Amino acid sequence: MTALDAVPLLDSLCCARLLSATAAVAICAPLAGIAGAQLAGARHNPRLPAGWSLATALAAALTLAWGWRSGPGQEVLLGPQLAGGSLVHLDGLTAILLPLVALLSLAIVLVAPRRAVTVGGVTRLLAGAALTTALMTTSHPVVLVILWVASLLPTWLSTRATPGGRPTARVYALMMILGSVLFAVGVGLLALDPPWAPQAGPAGAAGGWLVTLAVMIRKGIVPFHSWYPALFTAAPMSAALAATMPQVASYAAVRLLVGHADGVAAELVVLSQAALVTAAYGAALAVVQRDVRGLVGTLALSQSAMVLAGLSGGLPMELCGALAVWVSSGLALTGIGLVAWALESRAGVLGLESPQGRFADAPALAAFFLLFGLASLGFPGTLSFVADDLIVAGSLGDQPHAGVLVIVATVACGIAVVRGWFRIFGGLATPDAPRHQILRRERVPLGLLLAVLFGLGLWPGPFVQSLEQVAALLLNSRHAAPATALPGDHP
Amino acid sequence: MILALPSAHDLATGLIVAQIAAPAATLLALGLPALLGRPPSERATTRAVSAGFGLTFLAALVSLAVGAARGFPVEVVHLGTLFAVGHHAATVELVADGLSIPYVCFSTGLCSLVNAFAGRYLHREPGFTRFFILLVLFGFGMNLLVLAGSIDVLFAGWECVGVSSTFLIGFFHERRTAGAAALRAFVTYRICDVGLLAAGVVIHHAVGSGDFGHVFAGAWPTATCLVPVATAVPASLLLVFAALGKSAQLPFSGWLPRAMEGPTPSSAIFYGALSIHAGAYLLLRCAPLLDAAPAVAWLLVAIGLGTAIHAAVVGSVQTDLKAMLAYASMTQAGLILAEIGLGWRVVPLVHVISHAILRSLQILRSPSALHDRHELSAALGGPPGQGESLLLRLLPAGLRATLYRIALERGFEDALVGRFVVAPVLAALEAAAEFERRLVARLGGSQDVADEWHRDRGAE
Repeated sequence: MTALDAVPLLDSLCCARLLSATAAVAICAPLAGIAGAQLAGARHNPRLPAGWSLATALAAALTLAWGWRSGPGQEVLLGPQLAGGSLVHLDGLTAILLPLVALLSLAIVLVAPRRAVTVGGVTRLLAGAALTTALMTTSHPVVLVILWVASLLPTWLSTRATPGGRPTARVYALMMILGSVLFAVGVGLLALDPPWAPQAGPAGAAGGWLVTLAVMIRKGIVPFHSWYPALFTAAPMSAALAATMPQVASYAAVRLLVGHADGVAAELVVLSQAALVTAAYGAALAVVQRDVRGLVGTLALSQSAMVLAGLSGGLPMELCGALAVWVSSGLALTGIGLVAWALESRAGVLGLESPQGRFADAPALAAFFLLFGLASLGFPGTLSFVADDLIVAGSLGDQPHAGVLVIVATVACGIAVVRGWFRIFGGLATPDAPRHQILRRERVPLGLLLAVLFGLGLWPGPFVQSLEQVAALLLNSRHAAPATALPGDHP
Repeated sequence: MILALPSAHDLATGLIVAQIAAPAATLLALGLPALLGRPPSERATTRAVSAGFGLTFLAALVSLAVGAARGFPVEVVHLGTLFAVGHHAATVELVADGLSIPYVCFSTGLCSLVNAFAGRYLHREPGFTRFFILLVLFGFGMNLLVLAGSIDVLFAGWECVGVSSTFLIGFFHERRTAGAAALRAFVTYRICDVGLLAAGVVIHHAVGSGDFGHVFAGAWPTATCLVPVATAVPASLLLVFAALGKSAQLPFSGWLPRAMEGPTPSSAIFYGALSIHAGAYLLLRCAPLLDAAPAVAWLLVAIGLGTAIHAAVVGSVQTDLKAMLAYASMTQAGLILAEIGLGWRVVPLVHVISHAILRSLQILRSPSALHDRHELSAALGGPPGQGESLLLRLLPAGLRATLYRIALERGFEDALVGRFVVAPVLAALEAAAEFERRLVARLGGSQDVADEWHRDRGAE
């Protein structure tokens, strides 16, 4: 019996209430954390309220995921609707992404070096988490545009506030303003003249292309990718990870393009081909990076691009692969980024042009770096192995070159990770340098991320079943069953 | 109450599962405490590893006895389906037959012996537990590779062997040369792994499954190929490509002499015995594909013989004992691949086992052999005499000088690969990275974003 055939534990109404309530908690908890951090002021450690608020958000998101899995498997649509989108849109995708966003944010807050945990920094991080979570619970075009723009601000402010970060903040602003304008206009055109409607005009088609361009810019897809590694180099690691790992642009692509593939099929194909090139190119760049932040940035560029590579597929398998990469690359690259940040907090900027001899400093961080590296590049027993297998197997029929490019990207990323390991941890340690063992607040979240990556890799059956269910719903959304609405809602 | 005796199939299944489960459990028992900040003591480490390898070896021996008594029937153990989407399913299957059972017995036996040797050899060495974690990962990967019943499981074992090999070469990571040698080995492995991955993709595409039962019919060594020639040719070519990297064959042989940077016990088991023959095992397992693609088989013969000659010539001028042994291993690995290409099956298997046992003994003995030689030289008042070989005496002086030059330069293999492959690729990538940096700097209105960031962080 598959998950699709399972007898639901919760009825439709109960499920809809549970999902909407838990989504509200997942959005509001970080906002409560902001209030807590502000009240605590500069005298107290803002990590505490931030950690508790994100732990609450994670618990709510996990409850939402359980509720979705136990329910009848129908989308929950609440509030006003426009052009097929709804103010509140909860489905299997939400059930996967909300725990991911909460877990990543929690890990970032816990592992962040003490110097980086300021009231301002925590406020921006929590605001970003709340906005991203809210964005991932809606499909209403106007709300999507508002949240798309709003979720850019914390990253820009954090980058601008960093010493030496202003040039990158300028580049980021330039690219994101362009992307936001294209997105707003594109969404407007799609809403006015949906290309999947029976009598579609040229405006909707143009809208689809503009949204595609906006997604490429925000996602850092070739040729709009240069800001992406630069952000990792100049922004605080927390801001760079929080801005890129949840993949807001991929979510927008799913909501606006994937469910309507009949109307915007060509755009999706272009998007996926450019993403494949990005995956290979980013991996190649990772091999010659000069510092650890550049390495993390280019690895993230390459691995996260594979999500879009699988989105154009007409088969559930490809879409499953894309969703699995979404989760695996998010967890693994956040892990690598946090390890790099923890090392930087001990040793300063880490170059890769010569061995840095950091092994003696914190052997556990060396182990975490290696394990996250393996987990990001398709090592058997990790979730990325499952994800890569699904993408390659799914794309064989209609685009065999996709398999080749994914393999090339994986190979180059592997070389970059091992080169990075030997350059960071290899070499003679300075004899009188201070030793800093890994802290518990670092070990626990990193261990948790790793446990999820290996757990889902060694026992992927139930997770892949959930992904298959999500993929089937997304692909059939044009013919989907009537959505569940709470009594009293007036679409 | 009547106790039912397990059937022969159940017994075989239990034994095969034990050979995977025991090293996996040992890996977890050592790895998890180390990751949690409580690495086990030397004594606990050696006891756990000895127990794990001992149990595995015992299970392998019983498997061998049971298999020999039953004439080595093909026992397929279906451990379950990892995941399934639509018609695509990743199944976990192991196979026990006339190839895998003797091979796993020999490989676990060697692992157990090297474990016993290494426990004393590495006593009080920093990284003692790390060495054994990597050794157990290798043992687990090797058993998975040998007992694999599908190309997916074989790939999983192949990757474990590659990663453990890399980090054992770089075990003394504080040495610059160790890191460089490890990276070189990993790059070679990774490039050649493309062959195995792509072969898996080709086979999946052709038969809809990676299980060997869908690709080959019959029992090893007389199994036949079920896939059409149009699939067998590219698949076998890709498998040969994968085997060349792991078995250090031309033009991918440069990593092997450098791999001796690792501890002696790991060098013995990896580059004298098991890892270097993983390619040969892969080709023996997939031999029916080679039978269906004679041109690829002849290509394998040519590469194997070419590598054997190259390694014999280069090895003869080495001044370092471990490098000399590495080239000797390369020579034998080349001959074994040539034998496989010629269509032989049992001969290369016997060759692998006998060569592996001899070579690992030589490598393990090498540190004390040097000591003995020094003592002998002291007793004789000079180095013991060593005459030229008959072959060398038959060659004209000019040719001998040329050969000597070629051998000193390691056949110019490194120079050619470096100049025509590595340098252009790295130059292109550096140029692309530099272009990216300049572009961002120009857009941001600064000289260089990274430089500015580093400067400001430094000032801070």
